Amino acid sequence: MVKEDINIGLGFRREIAGNFLEEGGLHPDFIEVAPENWIDMGGYWGDVFKKVTDKYPLILHGLSLSIGSPEEPDWAFLKKVKQFIKDYHVAVYSDHLTFAKMDNAHLYDLLPIPFREDAVKHVVQRIKEVQDFLERPLTLENASYYTSVAAEMTEQQFISSIVEESGCNLLLDVNNVYVNAFNHKYDAREFIDAMPLGRVTYIHMAGHYKIQPDLIIDTHGEAIIDPVFDLFDYTIEKMAPVPVLLERDFNFPEMEELKTEMDKLRTICKKNWTSDVVQQGNI
Amino acid sequence: MLYSKETYKLQQEFTRWCRTGEEIHLENTRPEGLKQYRRLLRNNINNTMKQAFPIAVSILSEKEWATLIDDFFAGHDAQTFQVWKLPFEFYQFVSKQSYGITFKKPYLSDLLHFEWIEIDVHTMPDQIPEPFKKKGDPKKDRIEVNKEYRLIKLNFPVHLYAAEESKNHTGNYFLLAYRHPDNFEVRFVDLPALHTLFFEKIAQEGKSVQEILKEIGEASSPELMPEIEKNISKFVETMFDQKIFLGYQHIYKN
Ligand SMILES: [Fe+2]
Repeated sequence: MVKEDINIGLGFRREIAGNFLEEGGLHPDFIEVAPENWIDMGGYWGDVFKKVTDKYPLILHGLSLSIGSPEEPDWAFLKKVKQFIKDYHVAVYSDHLTFAKMDNAHLYDLLPIPFREDAVKHVVQRIKEVQDFLERPLTLENASYYTSVAAEMTEQQFISSIVEESGCNLLLDVNNVYVNAFNHKYDAREFIDAMPLGRVTYIHMAGHYKIQPDLIIDTHGEAIIDPVFDLFDYTIEKMAPVPVLLERDFNFPEMEELKTEMDKLRTICKKNWTSDVVQQGNI
Repeated sequence: MLYSKETYKLQQEFTRWCRTGEEIHLENTRPEGLKQYRRLLRNNINNTMKQAFPIAVSILSEKEWATLIDDFFAGHDAQTFQVWKLPFEFYQFVSKQSYGITFKKPYLSDLLHFEWIEIDVHTMPDQIPEPFKKKGDPKKDRIEVNKEYRLIKLNFPVHLYAAEESKNHTGNYFLLAYRHPDNFEVRFVDLPALHTLFFEKIAQEGKSVQEILKEIGEASSPELMPEIEKNISKFVETMFDQKIFLGYQHIYKN
């Protein structure tokens, strides 16, 4: 999907759908959707989806894989995902390093897996099963969480072990690192340093909301704040170029504001990933 | 499963709390963080249902609505992996548990059904019709029907009257919701019983109007038939105008 080294994408959402198709609208290098929102969708929205996916390369970022569930993966769901990947020539299928289903009930949100050795083993086995079924590597995102659950290891250890042992890729959400570092009082840069950055397939950037002085909620409903841009800059300097996605799920601003955020991401990427700029910087 | 019993139990307790708000003692967790999960998960369900059932929300008291959401979230194991299809499970849950009777709003189940089929028809996968002829004999030829529809039966005509008023007009109502092929709009048609019978036989059994008339003729008195024929011919014409009937099938009859 990569046209050049710098690829800045935007989540495709119904509320801002028109902007992706109109002249003078938003023209991201790629789009990202949750397959759950579009599988089997017909009618008006099915038609819009066809037009948008004809125009832009697509990355899938799912919600219901629930890789951390104790129960079996939902093979019927994965069969549909596999077909969807084929139908839309999808480059990357990602979901979250969380669970969203328990006791045979979907919960429709991302719940934290206890950071424990047995959980690592369990998740690694699940990832392998899913990767075998889909015949492609899975990409999993470091999720934001508001409490850990009886943790016996750090989040870094948990993520790194899973990536290493399962062979999956990492979707690094830089905003989530910032949010978690704030909520759980650790150093965001040290966390980034401990991540397997060579395994990062793409990056998420988003805004968040401080609900109380010591708690941030990962809303995807605000503009990205400067410290998160700074952490992004710090992170990508250590990495080879990968696609970067701006996540905005609600409370949509004027199109210009989204453009400005994407431009800012592009500028930071160019600074770190374009060789002549790097050379100029060295003079 | 490679989870230890202990970790498995932690996850169960965690999600139990999210769904019910029942007091739990999870060691090594941050209580304010835990509260956020219940709030966020419940909000998600609540917002999804509010969006799907705007009329039901407006006619129920806040307390009644909150009861539905709480009971549904705690007591129903959501099966669809697509949250936008969850309103169907909500409708089924409310209907099965007879909340309409509890709330003295007996039309509640019909109202949810009515609101759900609009979403259902709006989003259902495209149903490509078989190739069809534009011209044909409306009586003898088999009709190609627009397959993007749902036909439901209501006892309370919530599609015709305000919900409370529908209590004064109970009966058997047949409501056809379909997607217009030109602009994807969902349209509703209230069908009388006779037209429902014809529609079902044409759409589901693939019969021609003439075949159905013959069946009916065998069971009713002959003097009624001219009136029925006239009525049905007008009905078929209207269905073509509304693009519920699309054209005539290429069928070679012997
Ligand atoms: Fe993310």
